[in-house]
Amino acid sequence: MATLTNSQTTKVSARSPSLSLGRREALTGWLFVSPILAGFLIFFLGPLVAVIGYSATEWNLLSREVTFVGLDNYTHALTENDTFWTVLGNSLIFAVGLVPLNMALALALALSMSAPFAGRVVFRTIFFAPVVTSAVAWAIVWKFLLQGETGTVNQLLAVVGIDGPNWLRHPDWAMVAVIVTRVFKTVGLNMILYLAALQAIPRDYIEAASLEGASRWQIFRSIIWPLLAPTTLVIMVITVVGSLKVFDHIFLMTGGGPENGTLVLAFYIYQQAFEFFSIGFASALAVIMFLLAVVLTAVQLRLKGGL
Amino acid sequence: MIKRFIIAATTAATLAATASAQELRMTVWTGSDAHLSMLGGFADSFAAENPGVTVKFETIPFGDYVQSLTLQLAGSNPPDLGWLLESSAPTFVQAGVLLDVGDKLRGDAAYDFADFSEPAMSLWQSGDAINGIPFSTSPLVVLYNASMFEAAGLETPNEMAAEGKWTWDAMRTSAAALAGDGVYGFESMDGRGYGNTVLHTLMPIVRSYGGEAWSSGACGLNSAAAKEAITLYHNMIFADGAVVPPGEQANFFTGGAAMTVSQISRVSKLADADFEWDLAPLPTGPAGAAPVIGQAGLVAFASGNNTELAADFLAHMTSVDNVTTMAQFFPPARNSVLNGEVFLNSNKALSPMQMGIVADAIATGKILPSHPKFPQIQAAMRPKFDALWQADADVEAVLDSVCAAIESLL
Repeated sequence: MATLTNSQTTKVSARSPSLSLGRREALTGWLFVSPILAGFLIFFLGPLVAVIGYSATEWNLLSREVTFVGLDNYTHALTENDTFWTVLGNSLIFAVGLVPLNMALALALALSMSAPFAGRVVFRTIFFAPVVTSAVAWAIVWKFLLQGETGTVNQLLAVVGIDGPNWLRHPDWAMVAVIVTRVFKTVGLNMILYLAALQAIPRDYIEAASLEGASRWQIFRSIIWPLLAPTTLVIMVITVVGSLKVFDHIFLMTGGGPENGTLVLAFYIYQQAFEFFSIGFASALAVIMFLLAVVLTAVQLRLKGGL
Repeated sequence: MIKRFIIAATTAATLAATASAQELRMTVWTGSDAHLSMLGGFADSFAAENPGVTVKFETIPFGDYVQSLTLQLAGSNPPDLGWLLESSAPTFVQAGVLLDVGDKLRGDAAYDFADFSEPAMSLWQSGDAINGIPFSTSPLVVLYNASMFEAAGLETPNEMAAEGKWTWDAMRTSAAALAGDGVYGFESMDGRGYGNTVLHTLMPIVRSYGGEAWSSGACGLNSAAAKEAITLYHNMIFADGAVVPPGEQANFFTGGAAMTVSQISRVSKLADADFEWDLAPLPTGPAGAAPVIGQAGLVAFASGNNTELAADFLAHMTSVDNVTTMAQFFPPARNSVLNGEVFLNSNKALSPMQMGIVADAIATGKILPSHPKFPQIQAAMRPKFDALWQADADVEAVLDSVCAAIESLL
């Protein structure tokens, strides 16, 4: 018995003289996660720490002058800069306008596409196509469609006697126009997520409820909606964070105008960093945006139980 | 012994190769084959004088140019030379990133620095320092669809100019008469004249009325002259419906508008035009003629790896011979080229008479407004000017708000 034990010990020692089984397993685990860990450290945590550091400086990118200013950039943004609050307000209006519209439309489309009917695949493709369309092409086409006098949208409205505004140039309508066109651009992705979740719901539940005499609304309210809750949460987090980070759409369609009416946080950060070269202030704004996204995500995760 | 010899020879060869094989990198915003081929010719002739030296041209799209250039300068691999627009020049000068080539250019008698037009050099000199050399001094001119004027039986801008009647009021009347049936009378700067290029649209009118955007740290956009001039333009858009309004797409070059203010580099877009066209000077105003010039300069960067060689190439590229070659695309700032027959015949798309109008505008024109804080001024003006582009805008109040927004930056 003693000989056998010695033999086993000898074999283990020959493979790894200094590591216990637990440590070897831990090492294997670390090796498996090391690629993503390295990516996380290099491309996320490193830049995040760097941005927090930059936000405490006044750094002119062009002249390379760097001065430590502590929390001045945050104080400037929060207490001295009226534009920041306009921008924050615009970002919230954009999110509040886009998220419910996007999710409601995505769910409605997914529900209508989940039932089998002729041409279902074609419709799915049509609604998903804008997701894979180039943002530049999308913006150019919509800029043409939304022109004041000669735009297709206004010409169609004129048929029913409505005198449409110059959508992207009107202070009251530009935000509406960018929200709606953004919803059309992105709703396909959420539709696919909802569709996948709907197909995962066992048919037995719905059939059983039908046999019990439940109406379609009752089935949706009591069976489908609760079972979609995890997907709804994921979609909501993705859409809220995505709406906070929106940049290309605004950049291409309105450039933040008119009268700063569509100037959102990500575009304002870009403007400060790459038009004015104020890297310190732009970094402080980026940190604020990050914290905002973290807080909103945390709130949504806390609300998970209510869904 | 043999081993030592081999090591010594290898080291010497490596050092020699390092010393002779030098590369200059220059950023430009043109992607035109014709432009790049011409620039390549300058690189070849420079290499012939400096064996082992190569010049690489890196095209950065115009919209991203300043941003990309700035990031390159902030990084560890800055370019040696680059093009710079007039609006960016003061910012770069103030940041101290441009190489002073004053000693090099003034010390070279053959270069003949005094040949450069003094007004054209104003942006690129500070004291004795020369921070760059303008390679394109391109005035704003009026391009007009002569076929439309003929069909409407109207006097053309050049006919009116010959009689001294080509004023902004006359422009307004012509534009209103030509507008209709899906065609506009006037389009500013290829339809880009309401955003960041708003001063390209407004300065020709404002200056002809005796106004200025800003001077000596004071905003002039709410002066009586500027208000009168900008009210005229506002009326042309909204009262007359004669100008392509903001948010609309109509193209002079495809017959969507009868007139446009543009630069001669855009004339190439008229190569396939199915209408007759001509070039006229900017209209005059109560303060007389006020030609406006857009400018681009060639600069060397102080942080470049080969500053001495970069200064040599800058001098080479802006020599009399090479400026003469460039004149086919870029109106020159050298008097000897500008005033000669060569310039008048340099552009195949334009007649000597048309090039004469360009030459006159360069000789008497004033460069577009610029400022070390131009990006901030531009961003501060933009939302205020947005309010101007509404039919019911209170023009005077908007201009007061523009000045209030930029006063602290000036």
